[in-house]
Amino acid sequence: MRIVVCIKQVPATNDAVIDPETKRIVREGVQAILNPFDTYAIEEAVRLRARLGGGVEVLAISMGPPRAEAVLREAVALGADRGILLSHRAFGGSDTWATSYVLSQAIRTIGNVDLVICGKQAVDGDTAQVGPGIAAHLNWPQAALVSAVREVSTQHLVVVRMHEDGHDVCELSLPAVLTVVKGINVPRVPSLKGVLAARKSEIPVWTPEMIGADPAKIGLDGSPTRVVRTAPPPPRNKESLRFTGTAEVCAGGLLRELRKRSLL
Amino acid sequence: MKEHIEKRAYHVEILPPKQDSAKLDADLAGFAEKYQRVMASGFCACITDNAMGHLAFQGPEVLEELRLSVPPGQVMIHLNTFHTKESLDEILVTCRRQGIRHLLVISGDGSDRLPKLQPADVGATDVEAVTSVELLRYIHRQYPGDFETGVAFNPYEPPEHEFEKLVRKCAAGATFVITQPVIEKHPVVDQLLATTTLPIVLEAWMSKKLHLLSQAVGYEIPEDTPFDPIATLRMLHQTYPACGMYLSLLGFKTQYDLIRDTWSVPTSKETR
Repeated sequence: MRIVVCIKQVPATNDAVIDPETKRIVREGVQAILNPFDTYAIEEAVRLRARLGGGVEVLAISMGPPRAEAVLREAVALGADRGILLSHRAFGGSDTWATSYVLSQAIRTIGNVDLVICGKQAVDGDTAQVGPGIAAHLNWPQAALVSAVREVSTQHLVVVRMHEDGHDVCELSLPAVLTVVKGINVPRVPSLKGVLAARKSEIPVWTPEMIGADPAKIGLDGSPTRVVRTAPPPPRNKESLRFTGTAEVCAGGLLRELRKRSLL
Repeated sequence: MKEHIEKRAYHVEILPPKQDSAKLDADLAGFAEKYQRVMASGFCACITDNAMGHLAFQGPEVLEELRLSVPPGQVMIHLNTFHTKESLDEILVTCRRQGIRHLLVISGDGSDRLPKLQPADVGATDVEAVTSVELLRYIHRQYPGDFETGVAFNPYEPPEHEFEKLVRKCAAGATFVITQPVIEKHPVVDQLLATTTLPIVLEAWMSKKLHLLSQAVGYEIPEDTPFDPIATLRMLHQTYPACGMYLSLLGFKTQYDLIRDTWSVPTSKETR
């Protein structure tokens, strides 16, 4: 059995800046991290491998610039067996549809993939579209916002899918695509041994030709959507209050303030 | 711990490399150099656990990976409540395997990336959150006789609250106490010495940047406040001769050689 985890390198949230010209997130010179939601996807894949016993391989794949190799090494340090980077100038400017096409082509190329797991969304774009997009390109069943995998076999999954009014319990036949939410597990912290092993891990770089991608379906030309305007959210009113005195006096002051603002 | 103080062995804090280190090899080498220096001095290396919530590698795994020997009684591991149960047990089992007996058990600082132990993880049924007390109970219940556990004491917190917590920590198995940084004779430290028979180790702040302590002590220390850590260390020895000393932020290049003669041979009445 083979599980593929799709991951993304994103700017550290506090550093995200939009280029006013291109309307794209400025990534150069900004600290880059593994998309936090993807850590849950990696952890779930590693846990499913353990639940299924031997013969399960976990692969992490990512589309991005060469430096995105770092998040693939992180995935290996967290327990993935290996990583593959999809990197080429022609992939640049891909929207969520083109990105999910590229990832689906990579999944086809890997072959014998039974399950694809993504984080529910990337914290830079916040679209939550790539996971479902992969399922659409592959024409596989999908469950988004999965908070638990109740049953797993090499043939099927039973998962809990969150929605606004509660949750659904869904059965999916494999192959399938899942996007997972934060509460599904508690991701492990990489061990030193894992990090050192990951540094030695070979991360192959795949190009459009290597995954048989149609040039008309990738990059800006293959993207049916365009960001035409970007605006920052209105600034939040930040206010700080300092309470002084004994613990009782401070606690009383805080309580009064919270009540005054109808927060209690 | 009593023997550490009797032997006048400093407790020297060492931070393991951070998880996001861009120069991991250099950081590992630096860690090994500091550790070996502390071992050669006969002191006790105190290895932090994700200090300030910054993700770092765990002390026991670093010692194991670097194949650094653990002389009996010369290593203390900080252990806080920000772990999964699996990683907690892995740390404790590794410590036991390496012969590390001393643990400083603290609640610790969390971060988005650090999992927090849940009450069920440590078999606690009467609390909503795991503190050092529940962690202490768990360690002594699951690993009976394997560890000597110490706890933190903050003289800058309201004393009645801090002493009440200390009673609970002692009841949960704490056998020594390490304070927050002490920079002068302090009435709450005096009270601590007067009310407990446990070995007390004072944290001595070895950075010249005293203002960094502002948050810990609860009042603003101006950035340009002059501070001589070595002179303060000598003063602490004179003021509190029965206490051990925990050296935080010690400069290995500039200060290490200077601390050798700061703690003279004890007289019999000085030891607790």
